[in-house]
Amino acid sequence: MPSFYQIRTSLSIIDRIREINIFLVCLLLTTFLFGLLSLYSVADANFDPWARNHLIRFVISAILFFIISIIDIKIILKLTYPLFVINILVLVLIMFIGTETYGATRWIRIAGVSLQPSEFIKVSLILCLAKYYHSIPIIEASKISRMIIPVIITLIPVGLVIIQPDLGTSIIILIGAGSIFWIVGINYKYFIVALLSACASIPVGWQYLHNYQKERVFTFFNPERDPLGNGYHIMQSKIALGSGGFAGKGYLEGTQSHLNFLPEMHTDFIFTMYGEEFGFIGTFLLLIIYLSIILVSFNLATKSRSSFGKYLSCGLIFLFFSHVFINVGMVMGLLPVVGVPLPLISYGGSSMLATMIGFGLIMNCYINRDTILAKEGFID
Amino acid sequence: MISKNIFSSLDKANTEKLINRRVALLTIAQTGLFSILGARLAYLQIYKHDDYSSLSEDNRTTHRLLAPQRGNIVDLSGKILATNIENYQALFVLGETGDIHKALIAFNSILPEKKIDIIKILEIAKKSSKFKPIKLIEDLTWGEFSKLNANVHKLQGIYPSVGFKRYYPGKEANAHLVGYVSSLSENESYNNPFSKLANAKSGKIGIEKSRNLDLRGQIGNKRLEINAFGREIRELNRIESKKGRNIQLTIDRDLQRFCYEQLDGLSGSIAVTNIHTGEYLALTSAPAFDPNKFYSGMSHDDWNFLTKSLYKPLINKAISNHYPPGSTIKPFVALAALEEGFDPNKRINCDGSYEIKDTSTEKGTKSFHCWKKKGHGPMNMKEAIQRSCDVYFYTLAREIGINKIAEVCKRFGLGAKVFDEFFEELMGTVPNKEWKKRELGYNWMIGETLVAGIGQGYFLATPAQLSLATAQLVNGGKRISPKIIYKDIDLRNQNKSIKNLADTKHLEFLKDCLFAATNEQGGTSYRSRLIGKYQFAGKTGTSQVRRISEKEREEGIIKNKDLEWSRRDHGIFIGYGPINKPKFSISVLIEHGGSGSGAAAPIAKKVMNFIFKQKIDIERIVITDA
Repeated sequence: MPSFYQIRTSLSIIDRIREINIFLVCLLLTTFLFGLLSLYSVADANFDPWARNHLIRFVISAILFFIISIIDIKIILKLTYPLFVINILVLVLIMFIGTETYGATRWIRIAGVSLQPSEFIKVSLILCLAKYYHSIPIIEASKISRMIIPVIITLIPVGLVIIQPDLGTSIIILIGAGSIFWIVGINYKYFIVALLSACASIPVGWQYLHNYQKERVFTFFNPERDPLGNGYHIMQSKIALGSGGFAGKGYLEGTQSHLNFLPEMHTDFIFTMYGEEFGFIGTFLLLIIYLSIILVSFNLATKSRSSFGKYLSCGLIFLFFSHVFINVGMVMGLLPVVGVPLPLISYGGSSMLATMIGFGLIMNCYINRDTILAKEGFID
Repeated sequence: MISKNIFSSLDKANTEKLINRRVALLTIAQTGLFSILGARLAYLQIYKHDDYSSLSEDNRTTHRLLAPQRGNIVDLSGKILATNIENYQALFVLGETGDIHKALIAFNSILPEKKIDIIKILEIAKKSSKFKPIKLIEDLTWGEFSKLNANVHKLQGIYPSVGFKRYYPGKEANAHLVGYVSSLSENESYNNPFSKLANAKSGKIGIEKSRNLDLRGQIGNKRLEINAFGREIRELNRIESKKGRNIQLTIDRDLQRFCYEQLDGLSGSIAVTNIHTGEYLALTSAPAFDPNKFYSGMSHDDWNFLTKSLYKPLINKAISNHYPPGSTIKPFVALAALEEGFDPNKRINCDGSYEIKDTSTEKGTKSFHCWKKKGHGPMNMKEAIQRSCDVYFYTLAREIGINKIAEVCKRFGLGAKVFDEFFEELMGTVPNKEWKKRELGYNWMIGETLVAGIGQGYFLATPAQLSLATAQLVNGGKRISPKIIYKDIDLRNQNKSIKNLADTKHLEFLKDCLFAATNEQGGTSYRSRLIGKYQFAGKTGTSQVRRISEKEREEGIIKNKDLEWSRRDHGIFIGYGPINKPKFSISVLIEHGGSGSGAAAPIAKKVMNFIFKQKIDIERIVITDA
């Protein structure tokens, strides 16, 4: 064991709590408050049905965040694989006992709470990959033999989610996994190959897309194609954002949203209603907050001495980023409509929980930044 | 071991560098992508703000047209001829009706006797917005309407509502004159803002048609905020509709009704004219129809009856049908003769027929018969008018020629439209030589002059024309402008500019002749005279609609009552009254009534009596006369 590191293997609970980065917590809290504000507006100035639940879920998620932040990173490391296997099993299970909504089987009811296992698999997979790359000599990451396992453990959840069907989540899973592959230094040639083969497989994969997914892609390339059908949502979303203007129509004053021109206002299109009411000032501020969360988190990630912590944090940050980017890009007509929630703002318990677990893990890595982690498995 | 360690730590340092570089690149990429989002937001929310603002405004607002109320049509004293009354309806809004069939069953349980064409209504509903109210049923009684109101909670989405509908209190009496309204035709809908109203109606005949633009008013408009499903959220602003202008007619509603009642069971027309102002106090046609029935769509049977009936109830016989004036033309022929210097005291012998040379017949002559087979004997002008001697007028006509007769008739208003008002008015025909050459391509024949002298042949006139011509004959020869729309005119000013239509001396003489025809023994309408303070005078006319052959003449002319209805003679009467100070002229036409003296004159008597008894407007005219 190298001895020139300042070893801080054991930290008391108090020390750990003290180490929690208050700035990041404040940013997360602020984002959540924007969400609460928006959900209150979506329900026409009512706490019910969304804002109240959102608050409750945040409290639960925050507690979980707090617990995950301060537990020993070794526990996390130990639980990584079992949790991943369990998560995969649940994904398989919902093919049989899941709740079907809008033609997709995504939810499972556990003790009266509806959960979306695909939200958790995103975090779980990142954990898994981080641990895997932590356990192998990093110079061997580009070796074909070293790539088989990570590719398989990535494709299993992607496959399970895509048959739900949930294109958005499977894309997010791929992007999250990709970010880990990138960080661990896999030769960029592989990324080019993967990208090219993905492009080549589009015609094949196209056949397996559901009609509504194909429509969404068509609509993305030409929103005016069918302004009352699939293009309608994107047109209305752009109208809402555009009519919000610089200063917005005012809180609770959004006409596009309150007169129901927008779809899925409490989930995927919440950014639109926020943008209509708060204008460019509001949306720009929110983007700055999101970017701050990302940059602060990166700053925390780089402090981590263990490669596990670094990989995990960076992967989770990129996961968070891709949610924001895809969601905001989608409502502005930059990206096709795929069901991706806006973290901490969209209504959805599983998403909220997964996001806060993610930040809990980032915080945990930061708190345990100096902890030396033994490489399991393939120790040199 | 050491060297390996050094090597591995060097290696480690390199990979560490690589990883840090990759992380940095990722961070830069994310920041870059965020800038794209920011730029896109700036583009949408700042650069394109105006475009999207107007799109958003279009989204959230809609216009609803507000139907104006149609103007009223009133008579000379302001009594209502056409107005709008409340129409109790049941409407339904598809977007508020959970299950339309369920709602209809509930409706049916409240008003079981009301039948609704569900299929038709659902078809209309399919075409319109989900939240636009659609008429389920109208013309509910107050009782049914209150029943609906009491049970409105049971009827999801169906609710009672008060609309307006056109109402004609006079029903049949004014049907042709006032007209009726019904839904816009395709032609009328073109480029017409009114066609966008849910319940647009336009006048189809009569005043309702001719004054449609005045009556219909101006459409209002309200701007509403709606949601994505078209449900009304609130009203933003509104421009009220403007009620159409009221139209006052010169008609007297009571007289009009009285006239219509006199025509009960008959087919014909009565026109009454104020001889000084040209105002028509009555313009009746019978049989008629109930104009109220046209409003909400007439039943097939009703429509068939109206269009196929032999008595043509849809035709306004006062202006839209013309008839040979028969002997009622005689005073005008007489006037033409007087103007040509004919001596009214000269006697012409009537032996029952008048013969002219005609080489096309066997005998070489052609006979023109007087209605009195035995003849009237020697007649002067007054006697000839009084007894309506045909031979006298054959002689007269031949002497002065058709063109002179035509000129006088036209001068008094025949052969031209009376009113500059109705689309459906006919001009009638006043034939002359040029007319025949132009219209028929043949030369005028002398026999045609003879029959024109007794108002037969090509001569055609509407009852409204006959009343106008009579009015100008007896008002001292003043040209009057006929009116059906009331205008408050200054009579004194009008009188100055008017030149007399004929020599007063001649006109006074003709008035004497008409007086004799009604009020002196031997007159054709003597049996229909009025005795008392107010008297009237006039000329009968019997116009043939068939040709009587020589054979029939020899065997005895078939009596009218033995002919089928459509081959009987028309009965006509023109007249004026009161005698001592004339104020009104009248024309009565009874289609296939048999004769003027038998069918038309008795009705004229009743109408004149009614006018004198009721003193209709006599006071008003005295005021304006002064």
